[in-house]
Amino acid sequence: MRRLDLASAALLAILAVIFPFFVNAYWLHVMIIGMMFAIMAASWSLLAGYAGQFSFGHMGFVAVGGYTAGLLATGLNLPLPLGMLAGVLLSALLGGVIGWTCLRMSGPYLAIFTMAFSEVLRIIIVTEVEVTGGAGGMNVPQLFHARTDLPYYYLILALLMVSVGGMMAVVASRWGLFFRAIRENEQAAAAAGVKVTRFRIIAFAIASSLAGLAGAFYAPYIGILTPDVASQDQMGLVVAMAIVGGMESLPGAVAGAIVVEFLVEALRSYGQWRLVLFGALLLFTMRFARNGLIAPGWLRLRNLAAPRGARLAKEAAD
Amino acid sequence: MLQYFLIQAANGLVIGILFALIATGLTIIFSILKIVNFAHGEIYMVGGYFGYYVITLLGVPPFPAVLVAMALTFLFSIAVERGLLTPLYSPRIERKADYGILVTFGLSVFLRNIAIIIFGPFPLRPPSFITGDLVLGGLIISYDRLVAAGGGLLLLGALIWFLNRTVWGQALNAVSQSRESASIVGINSERMYMLAFGLGGALAGGAGALIAPIYSLSPSMGLVPDTQAFVIVILGGLGSVSGTIIAALLLGLSENLFIAFLPDPSRGPSYANAFGLAIMMLVLLFRPTGIFGRQHVAME
Amino acid sequence: MTVENNQDETGGASGTSPGVAFPGASSGVSAPLPRRDLLALGAAGAAAALPLFSRAARAAESIKLGWVGPLSPPGGYAEGLLMKYAAAMAADEINAQGGVLGRPIEILYQDTRGLPAEGTAAAERLIVQDKVVALLGEFHSSVALAEMEVVHKYNVPMMFCDVWSQEITAKGYPQVFRNSTTFPLLDTAIAQWIVAAGFKNVALLCEQDDIGLAGRKIAADVLTEAKVPFKLYTADPQATDFTAQILRIKAEKPAFDFFFVLYAEAGAYPMVTQAKSLDFAPTPQTGFFLSGGEGVDPTFWKNVGNAGVWLLSENVGLPKSGWNDMTKAFVKAFNAKYKTDPPGSAMESYDAVRSLVEAIKSTGSTTPEAIIHGLETLKWTGTRGLYTFSTSHTPDWAFHQFMAAPMSIIQYDQVNQSSFDAPIVWPKNYATVPYLYKTPTA
Repeated sequence: MRRLDLASAALLAILAVIFPFFVNAYWLHVMIIGMMFAIMAASWSLLAGYAGQFSFGHMGFVAVGGYTAGLLATGLNLPLPLGMLAGVLLSALLGGVIGWTCLRMSGPYLAIFTMAFSEVLRIIIVTEVEVTGGAGGMNVPQLFHARTDLPYYYLILALLMVSVGGMMAVVASRWGLFFRAIRENEQAAAAAGVKVTRFRIIAFAIASSLAGLAGAFYAPYIGILTPDVASQDQMGLVVAMAIVGGMESLPGAVAGAIVVEFLVEALRSYGQWRLVLFGALLLFTMRFARNGLIAPGWLRLRNLAAPRGARLAKEAAD
Repeated sequence: MLQYFLIQAANGLVIGILFALIATGLTIIFSILKIVNFAHGEIYMVGGYFGYYVITLLGVPPFPAVLVAMALTFLFSIAVERGLLTPLYSPRIERKADYGILVTFGLSVFLRNIAIIIFGPFPLRPPSFITGDLVLGGLIISYDRLVAAGGGLLLLGALIWFLNRTVWGQALNAVSQSRESASIVGINSERMYMLAFGLGGALAGGAGALIAPIYSLSPSMGLVPDTQAFVIVILGGLGSVSGTIIAALLLGLSENLFIAFLPDPSRGPSYANAFGLAIMMLVLLFRPTGIFGRQHVAME
Repeated sequence: MTVENNQDETGGASGTSPGVAFPGASSGVSAPLPRRDLLALGAAGAAAALPLFSRAARAAESIKLGWVGPLSPPGGYAEGLLMKYAAAMAADEINAQGGVLGRPIEILYQDTRGLPAEGTAAAERLIVQDKVVALLGEFHSSVALAEMEVVHKYNVPMMFCDVWSQEITAKGYPQVFRNSTTFPLLDTAIAQWIVAAGFKNVALLCEQDDIGLAGRKIAADVLTEAKVPFKLYTADPQATDFTAQILRIKAEKPAFDFFFVLYAEAGAYPMVTQAKSLDFAPTPQTGFFLSGGEGVDPTFWKNVGNAGVWLLSENVGLPKSGWNDMTKAFVKAFNAKYKTDPPGSAMESYDAVRSLVEAIKSTGSTTPEAIIHGLETLKWTGTRGLYTFSTSHTPDWAFHQFMAAPMSIIQYDQVNQSSFDAPIVWPKNYATVPYLYKTPTA
């Protein structure tokens, strides 16, 4: 990792830690939600952008994480952190299973299969009202009993740094190489010795476990969990965040999530126009800036900082 | 009991024909452009509204209004294609399927929400084609449904004739098999893409206009057909028109009979959709390209 | 590695597609970022940064209220919009008369889309960022439950409008008030009417969510106590085709003589037309009650046509016979501006703004304690009658509930009949016709 990258990462970390002291409770809340979405967007980006598995069932795993945590906490009176852990593990397991069932599918078939999975899950949650509270929602106890959201902020910050850090480590390793190989051309990758089956399942498991983690955080933070969390609208939001940030950049996805979340909040006063503008943003970005807005922008800024010759050399080494 | 079964089955078939109309457009789009149009349900919605306004603002009678709505939807779809999908044809985009998915997804969000602003949030209903119901013994079906089913059959028949008997249709077929070979024999593939997307959209729009008197129009009415159409198209096999029609009829029948006969009446309806989705997931497991689908061919 | 000057697309791996990609190759951007992208990035950044520059202290004198409700899917945006209009009308009228305490009022609107997380965020923003003195509105109970936690945390009073779950007031938060009816009031009354009208076998269908299920339970309890047999059904909130289900219900033996539906989604309209065309209800054999507000919406007749005749519904506005001057003025002005009759939920929204203003006026202050006290001691007549909020905790949902929330049962007897003119069959003191139920003519 280059010095500039490390320096900026450190700076960001410091800013993140002191952030709560400069904003009011509302923006703190927005940032927390943004970071939560960042975990969802980054993990989706890992699966779809790096490994090429276009899953539209990601939010289903968010629901699995959230409802598992909630149900174990309210039904079996398990302490919440344990329930959250169970949620993450279940999501990982389920994600692996889905990854395994999809092995023979690709492209739109995979997309629709995973979308169907998410929808079926959502329908079950809605229908089994006695267990899940249905569309009216399920109350989840609080994780911290503090007057402010500060503990939640630091928790999600820690979770974000750990999950994104972990994912970046994976991506930089041979596993990341295998993922990209699978994405570009599965048959060639298999011919080159990549264990396609195993890594497709691994990719799904990792991504889903993190989605479950985000869901497990979401449940106690908001306090009420509804099946909408698994809806296609929410999926679209996460996809947009990953695209805006740049599909093949994990930090980009994080930045995309935070920017889009703030944008969505900023547009709040526009009422019905909010999603219109939002859909337009998605279209615009896809049409004209396919690699996203943030990652390429950041790369450009970064490259500007170095003299031209060194810049070319850096790019070659990249 | 037999009568109950027959009524439910008859209704299921009618619904199936309506599904088929929507799904066939989707499969044609996939067949030629090799993308899944996630905004198909919204084009269906737009077509329905076109029909409504053509009747109420221009005074066109309901039957011709369907054709006008189809024409308008055809133009609208072409505009979308020109505006958003042309990057698919250049080598610049590597993962074309992904692009198609994402851009049509964004389009669906956009259309669904702008429809609220343009058309207003309240459901609207154009006048019936024929008011009243057909009563045959114990069987009751509204005339509107029969008109919609009949219109749907006509359109499907016309489509099949078009695809098999006209030069344009055969050109489309050629492009769906191999773009390069088609251009070698002189077929302008870009024009075929326009035609395919326009045609697919027009079919969806026609469905919208036919179904509107039955279910009413609302900006989010495209959401359920979105998923239903996918289920059908996957079941029948992406790219196979006949497969789609058969799968649509099967789905309409089975969902209806599911609701009719599931022992627990309160869970039936909610799970009917899940039932269709589950069937699709099962089929995909064993036949990843659907019942009749060809091997998934990526766009070159 | 060549630097390609690609003006249109920042392509992937420089246009070539290696069989196995090398690390970093795909994420590298060898080409300068086209102006278009920079512009877009700048715009996005500016837009995102906008809210952080707090609005220039606009008229520091205005009193701010926060309105929440669904204005886009998946929420009930149709009703939400009308409620927003009504609140806006109230604000305009109040300001035209000089405002309150010498200051204009300003309403800030937030779209909560029917999602609890949006409700939380909206409430937080209105309170913390916009510093409103009170909140009002909402249409979905699940969202209200999330919002009330926020107002409770910050001690800001909130007047809930069209949310019927009893839990909202049952929790007993001092900040929470509700001016609409609630299930225990509404569905008890409806079920009692069903019993009184002499029905012997009822099909109870509700939409699969909290609104439906809670209401259905209350109705079911009343019917159980009165020993009227019934069967329970649910329907998908997103569905528009109920044919199979209706046929199944119709095929039940013994046949139902009443169909009570709690369904507040757009699908209610097709449900009515399908039930009618399948010759199930409303028919001479089976009556039909549609609860949830769709029966009195502006587009009801346009969508339902003849099938709506003989349908029963509740009306949560004041019956026309009980209209006071304010009701008449409001209905007239709303019609003039928005070309449609205001439903009861819109009246609730209008009255909410006005009653908050009354509370401020009466105590001369905008502190939370003052407003709460002002509402607790309120005796003010709005478009829906004389408002008072109970301070009793028995039953638990009575706390800060408008116990006298108007409710009447209407039964249409003509096509295109306005809900204001339809015959009222219940309660007796408002009834405009001598019968409890008119059997439909074939």
